[in-house]
Amino acid sequence: MTQPLLRALQVARRYGDVEALAPTDLELAPGETVALVGPNGAGKSTLLAILAGAIEASHGKVETHARVGWVPQRPAHYARLSARENLELFARLEGVRDPAGAATQMLERFALPTVARPSGELSVGNRQRLNVAIALLGEPRVLLLDEPTAALDPGQRRRVWEVADALRAEGGAVCFATQNLEEIEHAGRTIVLQDGRVVTLTVEEVFG
Amino acid sequence: MTAVLLLLRKDLRVLLRSPLLLGALVAYPIVIAVLVGLVAGYASSKPRVAFVDEDNLPRVASVAGHRFHLQTVIDDVAKQVTLVRLDPTEAARELADGKVVATITVPPGFLGDLETTVVTPKLILQTGSGGLAPRVTQQMQSLVYQLNLKLQAGYISANLEFVQLLLNGGKGHFLGRSFDVLGLARTQQELAAMPSSERVAAIEHFVQQARVGLAQTGSALRATANPIALKQAPAHGRTWLLSAQVQSYGIAVTVTFLALLLAAGATAAERDEGTIGRLRRGLVSFGELVWAKVALAGVVGLVLGLALVVVFGVVVEAGGVTGGEPWSRLPLLLAGVLLAAGAVGAAGALLGALAREARTASLLAVLVVLPVVFLGLVPRGAVSVAYWISLFLPFAHAVRLFGAALYDTSPWGTVGIESAWLLGIGAVFGALARLGARTLSA
Repeated sequence: MTQPLLRALQVARRYGDVEALAPTDLELAPGETVALVGPNGAGKSTLLAILAGAIEASHGKVETHARVGWVPQRPAHYARLSARENLELFARLEGVRDPAGAATQMLERFALPTVARPSGELSVGNRQRLNVAIALLGEPRVLLLDEPTAALDPGQRRRVWEVADALRAEGGAVCFATQNLEEIEHAGRTIVLQDGRVVTLTVEEVFG
Repeated sequence: MTAVLLLLRKDLRVLLRSPLLLGALVAYPIVIAVLVGLVAGYASSKPRVAFVDEDNLPRVASVAGHRFHLQTVIDDVAKQVTLVRLDPTEAARELADGKVVATITVPPGFLGDLETTVVTPKLILQTGSGGLAPRVTQQMQSLVYQLNLKLQAGYISANLEFVQLLLNGGKGHFLGRSFDVLGLARTQQELAAMPSSERVAAIEHFVQQARVGLAQTGSALRATANPIALKQAPAHGRTWLLSAQVQSYGIAVTVTFLALLLAAGATAAERDEGTIGRLRRGLVSFGELVWAKVALAGVVGLVLGLALVVVFGVVVEAGGVTGGEPWSRLPLLLAGVLLAAGAVGAAGALLGALAREARTASLLAVLVVLPVVFLGLVPRGAVSVAYWISLFLPFAHAVRLFGAALYDTSPWGTVGIESAWLLGIGAVFGALARLGARTLSA
């Protein structure tokens, strides 16, 4: 059996008395795309952040066997720096050998503005594309996307899915959270979450 | 280490692109430092005192046969206060308006009383209700004390002239009349020429005792006139002018304010911008994050501290102020500034981690910085609780370190102790900030 690229074992997260995520297991196998579906507050973002290592699990552990890229729901970059400067900074932090070259490549790939304009002044769509571009800097084999297309126009959405499909085709794995039922078609497997737990309900049942 | 430098460079770049924030960060502490300087300068400035001479004092007066240069005495006073010659009406008006803090009046007949040595002449001091009035009173009391010392010396010399006359004989003068005095020495000679007898021997014995006794009169008079003399010991350091205090406080206030605000804001901003999640995914550890903010506070504090030191140094040089070595001690001072800014930066990082929002962190830093500064200004003996609290905050140590680095002849002891305190305080705050940073990504 192929070793999963990422495995979560009974990961859970509590904020005081509130259980944001009940103990959950998840495996991402090479070539797999998994959709996390559920209403607001279902625990999708928390699960993805734990898988990415952005927040600590209160319980359980995550095993990773490949580089992981994470696209948080809210664009996470320095608003006073330009798109290029953000890309170069995160490329250096990721240990990319040619940070300037990697930044140029991402700017072209995601059609991001090359002018020295603070990224905080970019359009919502451009900021979201920059968000995705930063996640891909370390050439990850696992891509975790938290509602990546929420602010994008159809063309930009297509570009994001092209990136995800290409990664999967190369033997990587993709896990994305969404509330857009049309996007489930990109997934080979769907996990439904409600109130911080994986449920056996169908998507239609969850959204009523 | 690379991650720390990368974050530091990013933060500096972000800072330079926020002209309003940069301007406020630079201007605010400078304004505070200038205000502290002005207040301290006012406290040390020469008070304006009206001098009302109703006796038309001459430049030189003769008292008990000695000449006194009254103008020199007045010039001595003018070193402590700014003396303004006014007539009585003007002096009263300016005192009422607060333009002078006191009036010192030489009443009519003052010199006459002084010259007769029969009546004690009086100077009249009237003070206003300003904060400097007690200081002026003390200065005037000191002046009268000094004046009395000089007069006393004159009176003793005059008295000793009579003693010398009694001892050696000669022509004497008193109240305008001249007279001849035989003197004990010549009396002894006259007695020696007389036929010996018991009565002559007794008188000779008395004369001998009187001569020995009177020979000691000078020392005895001087000793009893001044039972206790005040001798000023040389200061342990260079001249501790107020400018030194202003300089130390100015730099410390600036560095504390800047480092605390900057580190707090920059730490909380990582959460505001959502980047903390990205960073902590193995790219930057919490320790490195705190170090980056400490380094930011250190670098910016160093640059601004250097600017302030240069400005102060130029002012000190231009003003011809003695004391201190503004240039040769620059490296030592800047090392202290870096250390102090780093320690304060660690405290700022903790504030930022706890506040979790840049706005809250900035507000919290502003609210915290003033009590920290004022606690550091409380002298040890005044409020012991305040002193003990300030002991565990960086400000007071920074002030002492800067003062020693600039003005102590042998600064190493103080610099070593205060540096150790700053390192310890910085390490504790840094460790707490590292723990607190975990909450940023929660």
